[in-house]
Formats: sequence, structure tokens, C-alpha cells
Amino acid sequence: MNKSGLLVRLAVVIGFASLAIGFLSTQLFYRITVNQEINIANQSIESLFKTVQATAATAAYLAEQDLAQEVVDGLTTNDVVRNVVMTFEGKTVRANEEPLRNPVTFPIASLFEPDRAIGEMQIAPNIDYIKTRAEQLAGENSKAMIMQAAVVTVVAIFVAFYLITRPMIMIARALHRTTPGDGSRLAVPDFHGNSELGVLVSDVNKLLDKTEAQFSQERQLREEIEALEKRFRMLFEKSISPIILMEPRGNILLYNSAFEETLEKLGKSFRKSFGPLLEDLFVEPEALASSVEMAFANDEIATGEFRLRSDKETESMWAQVIVTSIISDDMREYYQVTLHDISKRKRELDLLAYQADFDKLTKLHNRQGLEKHLHNLIDVNTPFTLVLMDLNWFKQVNDIYGHKSGDEILIFVADKIKKAIRPNDLAGRWGGDEFVLILKNADQTQTTQVVERLVRLISKPYYLRKFEQNVTIGASAGAASFPTDSSELQALLHLADQAMYQAKKVKDTSPEDFLRFAEPIDVEQDNA
Amino acid sequence: MLGLTLIKAVALAGSISLSGMASSTELVVVVHKDNPTETLTRSQLIDLYMGKYVAFPDGSKAQPLDIDNDEATKEQFYKALVGMPLNRVNAYWSRIKFSGRARPPVAQQDQQAVLSYIESTGSAIAYIHENNLTDNVKVVYRFDE
Repeated sequence: MNKSGLLVRLAVVIGFASLAIGFLSTQLFYRITVNQEINIANQSIESLFKTVQATAATAAYLAEQDLAQEVVDGLTTNDVVRNVVMTFEGKTVRANEEPLRNPVTFPIASLFEPDRAIGEMQIAPNIDYIKTRAEQLAGENSKAMIMQAAVVTVVAIFVAFYLITRPMIMIARALHRTTPGDGSRLAVPDFHGNSELGVLVSDVNKLLDKTEAQFSQERQLREEIEALEKRFRMLFEKSISPIILMEPRGNILLYNSAFEETLEKLGKSFRKSFGPLLEDLFVEPEALASSVEMAFANDEIATGEFRLRSDKETESMWAQVIVTSIISDDMREYYQVTLHDISKRKRELDLLAYQADFDKLTKLHNRQGLEKHLHNLIDVNTPFTLVLMDLNWFKQVNDIYGHKSGDEILIFVADKIKKAIRPNDLAGRWGGDEFVLILKNADQTQTTQVVERLVRLISKPYYLRKFEQNVTIGASAGAASFPTDSSELQALLHLADQAMYQAKKVKDTSPEDFLRFAEPIDVEQDNA
Repeated sequence: MLGLTLIKAVALAGSISLSGMASSTELVVVVHKDNPTETLTRSQLIDLYMGKYVAFPDGSKAQPLDIDNDEATKEQFYKALVGMPLNRVNAYWSRIKFSGRARPPVAQQDQQAVLSYIESTGSAIAYIHENNLTDNVKVVYRFDE
């Protein structure tokens, strides 16, 4: 049994209380008994005196010492009497030599004249005997009290156990076994429907009800939060676009797997920081930085398209970068950076631009591409010489051997152009069998060198595999220079065209004269 | 006082056949006319009759007398003297009979015998009815005083 259990404590307390009460009442009873016994002894002494009064009076009256001695000796045979002393007519008669303690004194009157005092008798009670008797009585009483205390203790423990402790222990055990949320409730102990214990049980059950309701509410809430969290995480983790949360100085706090994939594509391994605004990842971090600075200055979300720096020899990667400044609750600033991979779109756009500006057959710039370049050069005022070149005898080849053979010839010519021009020069197909060379910073000598080299290359016989036949073509070219001949494109084109036409006229008569330079513009003609 | 004594005497006369005569008169205590004692107190008288002293106040020996055949007178005397019935007086004497010096009064037949004893004995003392007084005795105590 539990040493600090209720029942043990109760038993100990009741036992001690009973013992204490028993002890105290025994003490009290002893004192009362002693007093009572002394009273009783005094009474019996009085009656003893009355018994011997006549004899004593006679002895005193006649001064008969022998008779008096007989009286006092007789009295001392009584248990309650310790000693008796009689005095009369100057004589003293005593039963023994014991000192007289607390004696009771009786006057002795004459038998014949009650008013005439003739002596006195002192009777000393036997205090020791009285006390012994009182102790005996008190002892018996103590035994009775202890028995009573024991019986009361047992009864109290029994009652307490069956009425209080056992129901309480049952309640406590039931409560101990109860887990809030399992729906179990405590049973009201028998005969305790309206007692405090019954009220306690019903209150505990109410508490369990409330707790359970709260539990299920909390569980539901937690589940909702978990679901929401899961979705958020999914949103974040499964996002195709890399999302990074970072400090303005560049420390990355949070990133998703898409960012890792992007790093892998770029051939980089993850680092804690790629510099402010991930500058290490971009080809032009300054552009990104200034764009972000500008947007933030206007309290806007920074967005822009920037090329990513790749450590791999792969296709270029572009990203739409969205940088948002977030101020947390504790007033700290964070940047949320989202990278949208726009490489594919960029490539498509590039392809479109390429298709728009290049000739599909020869892979040279087409007319539009050439014009764009020419405009650019004019805009930035870069001197160049425009050479317009037309193939000779191409029409015949085309007619005789068909379009495919013609295309072969065109590709062949394009190859030769690529070989002939200088690295900074640009060439393209103007249309049909017309080609354009843009020779930057070239004077007439340099122009002549390039064109001569080219014409020599394309004038070599070309073997048509299909027809097992060699064909030879030639070319006539006209050149006009910016800004010496004109600063306007149309004029330059016109001048080059005219010059080429002059060369064309002599292609059969003097084939070596395949290049003509633009004539100085007639002022009147120009005005017309 | 007189009336009360009369009623007592009448009651006694009914119960005791022997002393029909003159029992209604006062008792007096007498001694020899030559006795130097003139008067006694009640206590002195009690001490003489109950055996405490056997001498008169002047120290001379005293001999108290009882009247045995006239119990009514004896009873009257003791009743008047110590307020006790005769049986208690007798019990008193029987209690102390063997114990020591005290002796009960000497018993005489009747009042005449008492009177003659006093006349012949100077130390005697006795009680008699007043009407039996003679010149040879003198009264030392009266109950009506």
C-alpha cells in the first residue's frame, strides 16, 4: 500500500488522535479520580468517626487512655486511615508514630452535654492508598479508553475507506487511465450521486468534455495548417521557377529545388552566397543591379531579363528576374528573387530574328538583315564601302541545269564570300543572284583586294555532281562608300547599282573589269 | 414547665404500675445536711453521676446513689440530668464497666432507703422527690432552676 496514500495517512492521524485523546483523558480522569477518592476517603473518615464517636467521647470524658487507644488503633485498621490522634484533658493518644498529614479534625463533645467540648480527634487519611486506588481505577479506565480508541479508529478507518478513500482511489485510478480524447468518462461511485465526490466526478467529466472538444478543434486546426503548409511547400518546392529568399548582402536563406537545378545547368555548385542579387550568376550584374535600384527607388518590384553566366559550353540561358523587397515583422529586409527561365523563348525569338534577318539557303544575311546593319553603321557613323555584286551566267546555269543546280551555285558563292571577306566585314544576299558586301573602314584599294579575291574564287569552274559537268560563272560588282559618296542608304545603293551596271556592260568585252566605283554625284542629277 | 412535667408524669403513671405515688413532684438532689457542699452545678452533678469524678468540688469523697426499684424516678432523673433514656445510660455503664476506675452509683431500694443512707453516710448524694425532703438532708441542686 502506498505509504503516503490517503488511507494510511487517515489511519495514522486517527490513531494518533485517538491515542492523544486517550492519554489526555486518562490524565484528566486520573486527577478527577484522585480528587473523588480523596473526597470519598474524607466521607468514609467522617462516617468512621461517627461510628466511634460515642466510644471516643466516653474515653475522652472519663480520660480513659486505654479505651482511647483501642479506638484509635481500631480506626487505623481501616485502609483509608494512616494515623489517628486523640487529645483530651491534656492527654494525647496516637495510633502510631506516622506524621499526621492532611488530618481531618473532629471535635469531641461530652456525651451528656453536647455543648461541652472535651477533646478532639485527628484522623490522617492514607493518601498513598487513595492514590493507589485512584491509579488502579485510572489504569482500568485507560485500558477502556484505549480499547475504545482502537475501536473508534478501526470504525473510522473502515467508514473512511468505504465512504471516501475507496471511491476516491477508484476515481483517481479511472482518471489516471483516462486519456483526453478517447471518449471515456469516469463512473460516479455507488451512493455518491449527490455527494461532493459525485459532484467532483461530474465536474471532471465536464472538464473532459471541454478538453476533448478543444483537442479535436486543435487537431482539426493543426491538420488544416499542415495541409496549408504542405501546399505552400509544394508551391515553393515544385515551382518550376527558382525562388530564393536572401538577405540584401547576398546570404541565401531559403531556396527551392528549381534553383538547384538551375545551378546544375549553369555548372555551378551551391554556395551560401552568390553576391548581392546573385551577381555571380549573371553576365551583366551591373545592369541587374541598376535595374533593381531604380525599381526599388520607385517602390516597385524589380523585373528584367538577364542572361545567366554559365560555366558550361551550353546554349545561353536567360532568366526573367523578379526581385521583391520584403520587410519582416522584426523590421529586417529580405529579398525574394524569382528566376523565370526564358531561355527557350529567347532562343525562339533569336531564331525568329535570325530567320527574319538571314537567308535560309545561303545562311547569309538577307536584305532585311543587311539593311538593319547598314542603318546601324550609318547611325553610329562608321565609314564603310557598300559593294553590290551580281552573278554573270547564273541565269543560263539555272535554265540549263535547273533550280537545284542554281541553288548549289548560290551556296557555293556564299561559301566563297565568307572566305573572301575580312573578319569584321559583313555579307549578304540582296535577292536572286545579287549579293552585298559591307566592308568597314575600307578604301578603294582594300575594296578592290577583297572583291578581286572573291571574283577569282567564284570564277573557278564548279563541278555539278549530278550532271557530271563543270560550270563557270562570274560576277560584276559596283561599290559606293559611306560617307564619302553619300550619307544616305538609298543613295548609296543607287550609286552602287549604277556602278555595277557599268561593270556589267563590259563583262564580255573586258571580264577583268568586274568592279566599278561609284561616279561622283552630279549635283544637278542629285537635285533631280 | 409545670404542665409539661405533669403530662410526662401522667404518661409514666400509665406504663409503670409500681410508683403510683407522688411521682409527679420535682426531683431534687440532696446531701447530708452536714456536707460542706452547698450547691452543685449541673456539670458537677453529671460528672459525679456519670463516673468522671467521685469527689465533691471541695475534694471530699462522694458516693452517688441510685434508686433501683423506682424506675420511673430513676428515668426521670437521668432524663433531666443528661437527656438520655435509661437503656442508654445502662449501655454507657456496661461499656466502661471493665475498663477502669469509674463506678456506677450505688443502688438503693427506694427513696426511704436513700434517705437513710444519706443520714448515715456524709459523703452520699442522691436524688429524691421534693415532697420527700427531710430535715436531715439539704438540697444542692434543683432541676427547675
